[in-house]
Amino acid sequence: MSDDDLDFAAALRRAGLTIPPERVAAMREAYRGMQRLLAVLDDPLAYEDEPAQLPRYDRGAPS
Amino acid sequence: MNANQPLPTLAEAGRLIASGEASPVELTEAALARAAALNDRLAAFIEITAERARAAARRAEREIAGGRRRGRLHGIPYGLKDIYDAAGLRTTAHSRLLLDNVAAADAETTARLEAAGMILIGKLATHEFATGGPAFDLPFPPARNPWNTAHFTGGSSSGSGAAVASGILPLAMGSDTGGSIRVPAAYCGTVGLKPTYGRVSRRGVVPLCYSLDTCGPLTWTVEDAALALQALAGHDPRDPGSADVPVPDYATALRHGVAGLRIGYAKGFNDDGKVAAEQAAALDAAAALLAKLGAEVIEVALPPNDHFQACARTISHSESFAIHAEDLKTRPELYARVTRERLTLGAFITARQYVQAQRLRRILTRRVDTLFERCDVLLTAVIPGPAPLLEETDTSPWRSAQPLASVFNVTGHPALAQPCGFAANGLPLSAQFVGRAFDEATVLRVGHAYERAAGWTARRPALAGLSG
Repeated sequence: MSDDDLDFAAALRRAGLTIPPERVAAMREAYRGMQRLLAVLDDPLAYEDEPAQLPRYDRGAPS
Repeated sequence: MNANQPLPTLAEAGRLIASGEASPVELTEAALARAAALNDRLAAFIEITAERARAAARRAEREIAGGRRRGRLHGIPYGLKDIYDAAGLRTTAHSRLLLDNVAAADAETTARLEAAGMILIGKLATHEFATGGPAFDLPFPPARNPWNTAHFTGGSSSGSGAAVASGILPLAMGSDTGGSIRVPAAYCGTVGLKPTYGRVSRRGVVPLCYSLDTCGPLTWTVEDAALALQALAGHDPRDPGSADVPVPDYATALRHGVAGLRIGYAKGFNDDGKVAAEQAAALDAAAALLAKLGAEVIEVALPPNDHFQACARTISHSESFAIHAEDLKTRPELYARVTRERLTLGAFITARQYVQAQRLRRILTRRVDTLFERCDVLLTAVIPGPAPLLEETDTSPWRSAQPLASVFNVTGHPALAQPCGFAANGLPLSAQFVGRAFDEATVLRVGHAYERAAGWTARRPALAGLSG
């Protein structure tokens, strides 16, 4: 099994979820598609780029 | 007034009631008759609450006749996406899991519309739990597009789009986590307003994603969206996401036109979002018309759509998984296949990815705020083209096409979808106007001026057996 497949199976096991056998291939493909999109989240960010008080609540001014 | 005619808009119905040319009972009977005539074809309603509506209409009629008219919405029919609570009625979220879920109290939004004297006609179809996609393995069928019932309504506020477009209702409530008000509005040729995050209470509405969910109206006109928002907007101390921000007079804002405003047209987003040529041309024409009306139109660039999508999908899948994890584990068979699979994706997201997505969200929000230092309103695409066939709608667990609407769920800015033309196949095209946080008034002002000049609202779906 590839690392991807191991991660896929581990995430499901940790969540206690099962996928019907006939849908495993489609879900694996979905998992890979999602990880491709989420790769942008690996870009480095500055310390000050932090998410406190998101989304903004109490003002109309820019956050 | 009968089943053959679309219900009048909120503004027109209010005028008819004020002048005595129509009554709440007549409007309610017309809505019920049109719903009865069309619902087999459109599947817009999960439940039609006829007796409750008739009792409310009689009460409204007595109050108005007695000189106690509550305002412009008094005595006018509306509908609720079936994730909104209405006391004594089921809130099913279009799901087998909530078939016996009877609401003990009104959602805050329902309570506000009831306090305005509106008449609830029924609960409307949605994608299950406001996510997933059109599904045929649920207790209720998916709604169908009134312009062509072989086509998708968009979602998740699918019944809301169908009910307003078909003229059954002048107002239907929707919810928008990644475009779920604006996409059905766009595909069905109605107006759909996603207010600023925090502007309208979410209390009593089944959650999908706490930090993205936004409640708002679908209507036939921008003026009606303003009237609805006037009733809906305001601080709710019992909704932790509610903002304590003053609510302006939206109807007044509509009178000002667009002269002197600067519109930032995100034309490059058409390529980034793989927008079809006829949809892009319609947006170009909208920009040109706004310039002719006296606005200054400049081109602006949004950050890359894949950055927004990484944020939106990470946050949405994570939070919705947190809500549904136990049911996915213990009774997954009760979900539709598409809902179950898309909710399951949340299990694959790591804590690091969720936090990184929130950090990127702050950066993207700041970048969009920066655009508003140079312009008053943005013009962007909200759909890539007209509604696809229902049978060709992507219900795979991972949608490869990047949605466009969720950009402004990530940033929280108010966004209005409204018709901007028709495709060669006769289906509606749509434009999106976006404003500064909590500045719905300027968004509505631009939308109203455009709508009046463009005239698209004059065209209604031709529904066989009924006059349009």
